[in-house]
Amino acid sequence: MSELKNIVKERLEKDADACLCLKNEEGTVLPVLICDVDSPDLDGVEIGDERYPLGKILIELQKEYPERRFAVFVRGCDERALIELAKLDQLDLDKVVMVGVACGAEQAEACGCSRPYPSEIAVGDKVEAAPDREFIEEVESLTEEERRELWRSHFSRCIKCYGCRNICPMCFCKECSLEDPHLVEPGLIPPEFPSFHIIRAMDMAGRCIDCGLCEEACPADIPLRSIYRKMQEVMEDKLDYRPGEDLESKNPLSFLGTETDIEKLEEVE
Amino acid sequence: MAEEEKNVAGEEEVKILAFLCNWCSYAGADLAGVSRLQYPANVLDVRVMCTGTISPYFVIKAFQEGMDGVLVAGCHIGDCHYLKGNYMTAKRFGVLREALKFMGLEEGRIRLEWVSAAEGEKYAEVIRDFTEQIKALGPSPLRKKGAGKAGAVKA
Repeated sequence: MSELKNIVKERLEKDADACLCLKNEEGTVLPVLICDVDSPDLDGVEIGDERYPLGKILIELQKEYPERRFAVFVRGCDERALIELAKLDQLDLDKVVMVGVACGAEQAEACGCSRPYPSEIAVGDKVEAAPDREFIEEVESLTEEERRELWRSHFSRCIKCYGCRNICPMCFCKECSLEDPHLVEPGLIPPEFPSFHIIRAMDMAGRCIDCGLCEEACPADIPLRSIYRKMQEVMEDKLDYRPGEDLESKNPLSFLGTETDIEKLEEVE
Repeated sequence: MAEEEKNVAGEEEVKILAFLCNWCSYAGADLAGVSRLQYPANVLDVRVMCTGTISPYFVIKAFQEGMDGVLVAGCHIGDCHYLKGNYMTAKRFGVLREALKFMGLEEGRIRLEWVSAAEGEKYAEVIRDFTEQIKALGPSPLRKKGAGKAGAVKA
């Protein structure tokens, strides 16, 4: 793809010291950092169906080289992730050049994200999509006990690989509650129902940008994304917050706020 | 946790953990005590400086450790000793309640109440009402020795 190659070259010549992208190495897609225009990696640069939480690599890169400017290819979900990470003081967006990639129609539909395109698109054409609420509606139509048994059976397959956390673009803590022996008993498989998953759901509230990588990574096919998406809906309905939407609004669970922030809650009479 | 407690009739007693804020609800509970108001003895109190310090993890942990209900009581909105601590409580509990609801975990087992230092009668009433509610729900399905651990392997 010479188009991509030209974009990378242009960024490197104009405003970036290095470009973080994905390359295809004999069928395996992996992240690569291209630092100069003659790099042999340039030929393999690819934007396929594979996704990768590049924001996590960017955090490490910025720690190591705080003065450098990095260009990075972002899909709609990546852009939301970078914005949310910046608000959480993990990234300095002034030193990041985002190259927008719109997901193709087929991919957008398969992924079911509500905004499969970034704010500025350099590659691909914008496709509108509607978020997939089928499973959430199915769960909500069940009785309380049926819901509990449904989740119990899903979570009984969990092998506690931490794949959902490791792949999550929004997870960056050095100390993770999921590894706290007081909250999650070490050595117990499957992890206790429901604490492991409630802890993660609560941490994802106001943070999950709905990329769906957790569900893709889960070896036990647990419908994790629907839980976090539900949390996202709750945050929007009750606290008017949509993670990754803009740089100004802050996660209401991260600061005390004002009385108007809480007026939609039934807890406040 | 201690062995299951049973009442005189041989029925299993439900256990409720109450997080009370130091400035309002704990004083309210104290007032209920000195006023000799009657309320069920199923409640264990934990005094915290502000309800805003209560992480949802504490609530989950309480259920893990065998509690059947968790009550969080703090100052009325606008009366917080730390001005806005209870805003955080309201937000967190609103979200936690929805998470429990979505997973079918009987969100009626958590309760958030605002009880001031002058509301001894309200505190007693809240405890009476909440205990009745938890008794109707029965012992929590999330108790450690319950089905949650059945079939689990210790690696």
